[in-house]
Amino acid sequence: MTLEPTCPPPAPPAASPDLHVRIGSLTLRNPVMTASGTFGYGGEFRDLVDLEGLGAIVVKGLSLKPARGNPPPRIVETPCGMLNAIGLENIGVEAFIRTRLPLLRKVATPVVTNLYGTTEEEYAALAGIIDAEADIAAAELNISCPNVTCGGMAFGVNAQAAASLVRSVRRRLTKPLIVKLSPNVTDITAIARAVAAEGADAISLINTITGMAIDVETRRPQLANITGGLSGPAIRPIAVRMVWQVAGAVDLPIIGIGGILTAADALQFIIAGATAVQVGTANFINPAATLEIVHGLAAYLTRHGLAGIPDLVGRLERP
Amino acid sequence: MSNELARVQWNRPLGAGYHHLCLSTSEAYAGARPGQFVMLEVAQGPAPLLRRPFSIHRRLAEGGAHRGIEILFKVVGDGTARLARRDVGDRLALLGPLGRGFVWRDGYRRVYLAAGGIGVAPLVFLLEDILPQIDREASAVFLGGRGQQDLLCREEFTRMGVAVHLTTDDGSCGQQCFLTDPLEAACATKPPDVIFACGPMEMLRCVAGIAARHKVSCQVSIEARMACGLGACLGCAVEGAAEAGDKYLHVCMDGPVFEAHRLRF
Repeated sequence: MTLEPTCPPPAPPAASPDLHVRIGSLTLRNPVMTASGTFGYGGEFRDLVDLEGLGAIVVKGLSLKPARGNPPPRIVETPCGMLNAIGLENIGVEAFIRTRLPLLRKVATPVVTNLYGTTEEEYAALAGIIDAEADIAAAELNISCPNVTCGGMAFGVNAQAAASLVRSVRRRLTKPLIVKLSPNVTDITAIARAVAAEGADAISLINTITGMAIDVETRRPQLANITGGLSGPAIRPIAVRMVWQVAGAVDLPIIGIGGILTAADALQFIIAGATAVQVGTANFINPAATLEIVHGLAAYLTRHGLAGIPDLVGRLERP
Repeated sequence: MSNELARVQWNRPLGAGYHHLCLSTSEAYAGARPGQFVMLEVAQGPAPLLRRPFSIHRRLAEGGAHRGIEILFKVVGDGTARLARRDVGDRLALLGPLGRGFVWRDGYRRVYLAAGGIGVAPLVFLLEDILPQIDREASAVFLGGRGQQDLLCREEFTRMGVAVHLTTDDGSCGQQCFLTDPLEAACATKPPDVIFACGPMEMLRCVAGIAARHKVSCQVSIEARMACGLGACLGCAVEGAAEAGDKYLHVCMDGPVFEAHRLRF
């Protein structure tokens, strides 16, 4: 991790290459998005990150009603990663629109709302609310949170349930629909095909991998929820592999997620087949990580004489 | 709030696993308040991955000019063990100042400070800050630890002219009891205007109870695991008292200093 004192957003190189990418009908100025749940509602980072340097801001997962989340302890660090069981604590979609969206409206960066429900009806209702908000660019469907007892991942581990949910949401959402997949499945390509067939515009992956850590002195789980979602560089090779598999299975833009700390990490996902990436846990470690990655991608394109990100998507060479 | 690279000015072992670290920082810390904290990189990642939260022990100024901040820490795990090995001149990523510190109110004159072990760290900064406003003869510091080696900053407090009550679990220094014994006795005879406390959660629970029994206002600085320090990860949730309703409080945003009655101990 490299930082300059006081961390000004790194200026792109003089003749900066074109970093624009398209996710369905959505055009992003660059492929670097924030991952849901790691960037708050955006405003938390405004003193630290030029929000207009980001490709898109994906805000904390929203439910119809405010959610209290899980009891503490909610996080624990593990080798090269962390487990979290926040349990989707959030202020609810209406409070988000009323109190947080006004700040984001002033920022010329697409806002993507991550949506979470316990039933198909809740997801569909959320989609309807989001669709009516002109200043929300797209919705990301969270069918992959491992930390809630109903809903969330329950929809993401079964191709039929995922397909049915996407069908319901698609009917209420005209905006681009991104479906965020869980890695906690036997064959992620089956889920990807199912949601693609129901009209998803893009697929983001991976959400966290279900994990567990135990304090051997007390013999208690380190998290009150017992299990949590593993994130950080520990999961990156799994995420890159899954992006590569899904890229070979569906003809949709893919957003790669999983332990991206640097531009080199992001490039692995792009070469594996991702059109864009989301940066998650890195925001906790270095609030300026996203913009450093944007800078690093530009430098890479220049160094390799590439005109843009599309020239690199899925361009994996043979071993 | 600033995200910067801070240079290690010194990193001195104090014995028994305690260390006194000084970082040169930007002017952003000139306005840091007692009780606020920082998120500090302890080693180049990705293992350990996360920055660690530390309260600000004091600000370093030379000739009126801001120079940096001091941090007092105890080696408790891999992260702090790595931090203990940082050398003069090393540059560590630093985010801060963060959170809400101690709140000073007009009319506070008699002040009791209760510090358990490494919980002493923010209270030196606090006492230095409020010293001109308090009645020194009527105020007191209650320091507690497992043994003599855990009673830090005794000289600093004594130099500031307030009484210092020492307690240890093993009797190696001062009274053999928890600091809550002399604190309760003092509250019974001469209740203060406010108690400021920092230390283990068990201790803070007792201090909050004492404050409630003697109808004394009380602010506690608490610790929690956190990933970001900014209100983004929501990892540092704590139970609020009934008045907080159905919501969790978050140590990084709502604290780390809380009015004791706002917490559910």
